Amino acid sequence: MSQYLALLPTAAWDGLILCAQIFAIVLPLMIAYEVAKAYGLFARPWKGVGPALARLGLGPGAMVPLLAGIFLGLLYGAGILLAMSREDNLSHRERLALAVFLVTCHAVVEDTAIFMLLGGSAFWMLAPRLVLAVALTAWLARRSSGE
Amino acid sequence: MPSQPTSQKQAPPPWRQGLTAGLQRGKPLIWFLLKTILPLYVATEIFKVTGLLSWISGFLAPVMGLWGLPPEAAAALTAGFLLNLYAAAAVAAPLGLDWAQVSVLGLILGISHSLVVEGAVVRSLAPGRLWSLTALRLGLGLGAGWALAQILPAVSA
Repeated sequence: MSQYLALLPTAAWDGLILCAQIFAIVLPLMIAYEVAKAYGLFARPWKGVGPALARLGLGPGAMVPLLAGIFLGLLYGAGILLAMSREDNLSHRERLALAVFLVTCHAVVEDTAIFMLLGGSAFWMLAPRLVLAVALTAWLARRSSGE
Repeated sequence: MPSQPTSQKQAPPPWRQGLTAGLQRGKPLIWFLLKTILPLYVATEIFKVTGLLSWISGFLAPVMGLWGLPPEAAAALTAGFLLNLYAAAAVAAPLGLDWAQVSVLGLILGISHSLVVEGAVVRSLAPGRLWSLTALRLGLGLGAGWALAQILPAVSA
């Protein structure tokens, strides 16, 4: 037991550093998002994106959190994801669709790069995730709209 | 300056509104990090020394052949599931896996990793669905990895 207690200060310190890193990355992203929003960048859904999102059971308000999750990941995208899903009043169904898509496919650049360094194939590590995420979310949307 | 009082009553420019709104998000973000991410991170650090990792990989080792992987890869898989991808890569690097094996491992872990810490985000995003979504990640990851392990040798041959 005592060796676990001895580990606590180091673990807590490392954890604090991780939190500071996340904060340093996420806060500027949130400010950038808010500034872009203040200039009306997200006022209307971008052309062509609306119908594609609708097939996944997502409204136009889900575009920014979806992109944040796909590229930044769940942890670094968390600030945007959580704030957006609350503020834009995403429905319960939309939030579930977002969650199903993103748990399957997020942080596509970082995750793929790590295993590419070990010699993995970017295509075979990424394409199945993307296909599964789209297929699963679209299936969920069709199923729940058919009820 | 006579125009000053009127200009002060005008709404601030959009960039200022954005800056203020962004900064206001800082406080809840700090709380989320300190109350949720920090304790979960400490918990995963404890996993390393309690032997929980090697206990779980003990179950996985005999069946790693299903994914065309050596028994030692079970430790990488477990580290990825419970800790993160960097820990998994550190364990996997010395194993001398070929590109197909790394791709299978990368696909399984790409879908299913950092389940404890990321679970905090999943729980906030879809309340009440944490366990089913975590099971989905594990099932999809292992399933997709198995399928890839069957396909890749045929593709590369």
